[in-house]
Amino acid sequence: MVSTLHHIKGYNLKLSGKPSAVLEDLPLPKQVAAVAGRLRFVKPRLAVKVGDRVKVGSLLFADKRRPEVQFRSPGGGTVSAVNFGPRRRLQEVVITVDLEEAFEEFPRISGAELDSIDRARLIELIVAGGLWPLIRELPFRDAARPENLPPAVFVYLDSLEPFHPLPQVYLQGREDLLQFGLRVLHVLAGAPALVTACRDNAQALNGLKEVIGRRLTGRYPAHDPGVVLYRTKTSADQNHAWYIEGQDLLLIAEFLQTGRFPTGRIVTLAGPAATRPGHFRTRIGVPLAALTDGRTAAGEVRLVAGGVLTGNPTPRDSYLGLFEKALVLLAEGNTSGDFLGWTLPGAQTPSYSRAFLSSFRRPREFPLDCNRHGGLRACIQCNFCTQVCPVDILPQLTYKAILAGEVEESLDHGLLDCVECGLCSLVCPSKIELLKILRQAREQFYEEMI
Amino acid sequence: MNPVKRLFDSQRHRFAKGGRFEKYFFLFENIESVFFAPAAVTTASPHVRDSLDVKRFMFLVIVALLPHYAFGIFNVGYQSHRASGLPLDFWPMVWVGLKTVVPMVVVTYAVGYFWEALFATVRRHEISEGLFVTCALFPLTLPPTQPLWQVALGISFGIVIGKEIFGGTGRNFLNPALTGRAFLYFAYPAQTSGDAVWTVLAAGRTAPVDAFTGATPLAVAQAVESGSIVQVWSEAGYSLSTLFFGLYPDSIGASCTLLCILGALFLITVGVADYRIICGDILGFLAAGTLLNLVASPTTSPYLGLNPFYHLLVGGAAFGIAYMTTDPVSAPAMPGVRWVYGFMIGMLTVLIRAFNPAFPEGIGIVILFMNCFAPLLDEIQLKARLKKRIPNVQ
Repeated sequence: MVSTLHHIKGYNLKLSGKPSAVLEDLPLPKQVAAVAGRLRFVKPRLAVKVGDRVKVGSLLFADKRRPEVQFRSPGGGTVSAVNFGPRRRLQEVVITVDLEEAFEEFPRISGAELDSIDRARLIELIVAGGLWPLIRELPFRDAARPENLPPAVFVYLDSLEPFHPLPQVYLQGREDLLQFGLRVLHVLAGAPALVTACRDNAQALNGLKEVIGRRLTGRYPAHDPGVVLYRTKTSADQNHAWYIEGQDLLLIAEFLQTGRFPTGRIVTLAGPAATRPGHFRTRIGVPLAALTDGRTAAGEVRLVAGGVLTGNPTPRDSYLGLFEKALVLLAEGNTSGDFLGWTLPGAQTPSYSRAFLSSFRRPREFPLDCNRHGGLRACIQCNFCTQVCPVDILPQLTYKAILAGEVEESLDHGLLDCVECGLCSLVCPSKIELLKILRQAREQFYEEMI
Repeated sequence: MNPVKRLFDSQRHRFAKGGRFEKYFFLFENIESVFFAPAAVTTASPHVRDSLDVKRFMFLVIVALLPHYAFGIFNVGYQSHRASGLPLDFWPMVWVGLKTVVPMVVVTYAVGYFWEALFATVRRHEISEGLFVTCALFPLTLPPTQPLWQVALGISFGIVIGKEIFGGTGRNFLNPALTGRAFLYFAYPAQTSGDAVWTVLAAGRTAPVDAFTGATPLAVAQAVESGSIVQVWSEAGYSLSTLFFGLYPDSIGASCTLLCILGALFLITVGVADYRIICGDILGFLAAGTLLNLVASPTTSPYLGLNPFYHLLVGGAAFGIAYMTTDPVSAPAMPGVRWVYGFMIGMLTVLIRAFNPAFPEGIGIVILFMNCFAPLLDEIQLKARLKKRIPNVQ
């Protein structure tokens, strides 16, 4: 039964550099890495040292507080570097890949076995394979707690955030794997998972008409399971729903079917500073250079791993993490604006607001850069953040509550409903770092809860 | 390369760390940012930001006010020539207007900028462009005869007490331009009220020609003891079209209802003013006017029988509705109570006009009064809104 959730509030960024739907194979990288530096809610404990031999699927590091949150090697070979960042936080474990890689072997599960498998046994397998962190739990979006039965599980096939892989690309020929994954989730949750897709993509996924349980219409971040939960929940018991991204579910399914840690990944390289934006079949933990070399525009370019609104800036010599499926290239834009630019009509100036002439013209895409477009000011209550917030938080009041130390009040405002989409910061004319403040408050609250 | 850009680039080292004028770096940066948007980039996600900044936001209000200045300059000269019995030639009238208005604007901006720059430099933050809107609004609300030292004092009070002591634009709870205006009203009533202050007389004249009445429509209305106010207005030369186009003695730029309507539509279109406040205002005026009509009888004050639409045409009503009530900082933030806020402003203004003999016009005071209630209104709607949320608190 397909039902449609309509008119989700938000905003579609008009950014150029959309990836083409053509899938290109990248050559096998010489090195791959497991990235820890950009993981949230994880305090990694290292299990290997430089020079160790590892197989595909060998344990590299695990969370000190939650042993089920393990991260396993995406390549077989030698640990060639362990990089640390500021305050000696583990950044990445780099593996130089052998020509003939060795695999850790895990038990295989066939379709028939899945019908009768014990939930605890299934969890044990996924944990052992290092894929448990792929299943996330709301409201904090950390790894799911296996000891709890979730009130719901969402599988979201696509993301409206620029620019994530399209489901019609990564699901091509792998529909059976998705079906298998959904059966796995059924065992884990004790109930069928809800598959969501945005309307345009749902129409393109012909083979999966029966699978998609909810079509979504609206603007970014309509795809987000947190938004879907917010719009559909009827009681506070549902707040701890689980979710998983479509491509991640394929990894779990592949792992259970083959008994080996899956290393394949389809990622996008896109953005205005990408010369050939597109989809690429490569490996988990691929060096960024393997993607960007020969595909980056000249000038100062910022590499954003993950989407352009929520992703992290990454140094050029870094790697794509387990959760990162997109690499967006943006011009740095560190030049001052036009002479008296604020007095110009702004036919070529994109904006959420109606303060420029561009708002009254046909919408088109713009090569946006990382310029902040304005100085820091106090909040002037323009209410733009409230208008875009997909979960009806009042960011301009919530952030004041946070800065005043009123934790209870900010929670009442719906701080934990926040999906961290970043739209409030995007539209703010005072350039207040709303997302950063809300995120930090959530993280601080999380640390106090644990 | 732009010569202005070259100038800034050549002087920057003097204000940078270790430079001779290091202390004034913020002042330098503030002046530079007027000409060129800063080159600053984002340091946290989202990595792209919207093109709109506060400078643009405030600039649009000033754009809306520019026609009022053009009108004000003309009207000041026009009334002056009428009152002085001079021929109504266009350019001489404009010259009188310019002579009167430009010094007031210059003084307002100079003094206002001085205070803002002082606070910004001491507090080490950039100048907030709210200042420029305040300084654009303030002279338009003044009588053209206001002495310049009082203009300076008024804007000082508005900027410092109305805004800076609370932390600057965005943190003030009163409209700074109105705060300054109200200060002058109470501190110097002789120069801000009465019939004589609204017209600049030609040099050498002490009184207007006999046929000229210097009283504003509101003062005329208040003096009516019985009969129809509209009748008295038209006898005094205040026909419906005069009131609509604003060609009568009044504060410099606030009398033209037509421009206020156009300005309000412009601000709503570009998304700076909230239509809720404006609609609430208008409804409030009409509701109060209608209510008074219902209780009006031949024995009550003639004000009670005035057609409610006239309330929107006279005094500072239209100007206050378009530019003062819509100030997002001093208005409530929540959309629902913005209707209430506007409605209350309309109601109270009409009630003050009809029942308070001390004030011919009340909208300025009423807006400041409702500014004080804005946080309370917000709190009420916030409480109601949060009650509807499904809690999510672990």
